[in-house]
Amino acid sequence: MVKQSWTRQKTWLLIILVVAGIGAMLFTSHNEQLYQRPIAKVTSEQTVARRQTKDQFQNVDHQTDQRLTVTLMNGKYRGQKLTVQNTYSDSQPMDQRFSVGDKLFLSQLHRQNGKLVANVNGYKRDTVIVFLSWLVILLLLLTMGKAGLLALVSVVINALLFLLAINIDLQQNGQHIILLFSILAIVFTFISLLLVLGFSKRMLATFTATVIGTFAAMGISLVVFNLTHERGVFYESMEYVTQVPRPLFLAETLLGSLGAVMDESSDIIATLFELKRLNPQVTRKQLFMSGRTVGKSIMGPLVNVLFLIFMVDTFTGSLLYIKNGNSWGYTYAMNMSLGTVQSLISGIGIVLAIPLVSLLGALLLGRRGQV
Amino acid sequence: MTTITGLGLVLMILMILVGGKQGWTAFLSLLLNFGFLYFAIVLVAFHVPPLFVTVTVGVIILAVTIFMGEDDLRTTVTAFYASLIVMAFLLGLIFFVEHWAMVQGFGTEDSDELEGMSILIGISYLKVSVTVTILSTLGAIAEAAMAIASGLTEVLENHPHSSDQQLISSGMSIGRQIIGTTFNTLFFGFFGGFLALFIWFIGLHYSFGTIMNNKIFVAEMIEILISFIGVLITVPMTAWVMTKRRKNIIDNPTKIK
Repeated sequence: MVKQSWTRQKTWLLIILVVAGIGAMLFTSHNEQLYQRPIAKVTSEQTVARRQTKDQFQNVDHQTDQRLTVTLMNGKYRGQKLTVQNTYSDSQPMDQRFSVGDKLFLSQLHRQNGKLVANVNGYKRDTVIVFLSWLVILLLLLTMGKAGLLALVSVVINALLFLLAINIDLQQNGQHIILLFSILAIVFTFISLLLVLGFSKRMLATFTATVIGTFAAMGISLVVFNLTHERGVFYESMEYVTQVPRPLFLAETLLGSLGAVMDESSDIIATLFELKRLNPQVTRKQLFMSGRTVGKSIMGPLVNVLFLIFMVDTFTGSLLYIKNGNSWGYTYAMNMSLGTVQSLISGIGIVLAIPLVSLLGALLLGRRGQV
Repeated sequence: MTTITGLGLVLMILMILVGGKQGWTAFLSLLLNFGFLYFAIVLVAFHVPPLFVTVTVGVIILAVTIFMGEDDLRTTVTAFYASLIVMAFLLGLIFFVEHWAMVQGFGTEDSDELEGMSILIGISYLKVSVTVTILSTLGAIAEAAMAIASGLTEVLENHPHSSDQQLISSGMSIGRQIIGTTFNTLFFGFFGGFLALFIWFIGLHYSFGTIMNNKIFVAEMIEILISFIGVLITVPMTAWVMTKRRKNIIDNPTKIK
């Protein structure tokens, strides 16, 4: 399979990527000097004590104390050894077991009676992100070529814009978060489609359909929110909230559904342009019906993509609720209700976009046929 | 009526209006996936080994998403086989990555919500983190596999004599068309869900180094990157499965509707 498309250029690309990958991995596994926080490497571990724990819900677990000898890898005490205590449990929810070779962050490092003392404060994980990012870039460039590069560029630009928007939001203390992220959503759509499709009539049609579809879904959902007085939507169960939860939630939902609506719109528009190319005499009605057929078969899987992304994240939290003696209903309400609302709103956006984009495509292409 | 019921009804009506019978099936697949996901949580809570739950529920979710999303068996069977192979491969990768990154359970940012909870529940959160990561990528894998498989079915229908090599290169070219928008779907799906977390990080002036080693951030990045990898290997895998199954497809020219 590979032989035919395997060119000299690709061999060079592979070599460069592998070298860059090894370089990046070596760098992140030896970058302790760049950190302000003290980092130490475990040189020996010793189990001190082990005990059983049991809570009022009959959950049985074990806690183990371990004594770690670590060598400091940065800062003014670099190279010095010290002993730290760590406690971990079998289930390791917020703690973890350390073994020889692990690198960990220390806090409150200071001298006491001539000896260094410190607390364990986290595990060094940056190498993992670098490794996986490298794997994505490698696969993307080798299998997808130029299209892969553009997809990568679009993700990077969107991530930067996202950070910029968060900074603006923080400057305004979250006052206009919905407005801000609505504008951002439009900019995101424009840039992503520009990179994927290039500037063309096709791109403008997809852009218009995506924007209308996403905002129409938000509008309809807000009407439903009003009619049902937001019963069963527990904003207090939202995670990591530092601003007013409701607008934050709506902004999250808007962004979450945007990609999927864009995905679907571009698929439908692409098919309609192809039909038009094959048969320039195609009527508006035929185009509209074809658009609907394409949309019908995409919408199910697409809604499920977002559903799984939104809902699976609540798995750990729900598990904890059930194991803490909460009813299944309460567990659902406190962990999954917001995810469900998000999935449903995105679903509405995805479905609404089908007739919208088909109509737009039919009007655009049908007219040209009549002239 | 609660808001969730209201939104659910609106979605159901819209899906039926736009998609007819297929729309109804799509809505049903959403309900079924929810049921199986919740069932998975309950099973793990009853101390069924998480790996077993992952594989069983994973296969069921793939089957529901693929077979209820499309009627053409030639497309769906190919997509299903391909996504099973991809899932097996990802399971290995995720197992390795999760044991390396140790991002299971909760981070310090979760402390508020955990107040008054007993977190030592005697179930390995590490195993649960493998479950979470794999399940969150399944939708994307199924969708990509279906897009490639249905495109290739069409190619085979029009050119039954194209060689295996041509088939694979057609698969890759369809892949190149969908990769940009699929990445966007995943990117926005994940980033949208974690807007609040990012506001927290930047608002509290976390340094770049702190973020790159933060448990929750790394867990989230692993999910995004693994789904990217999943989609990327789904493309050639589906094309390859199609070359093995081409006989079935050419021999059954009528669409099953």
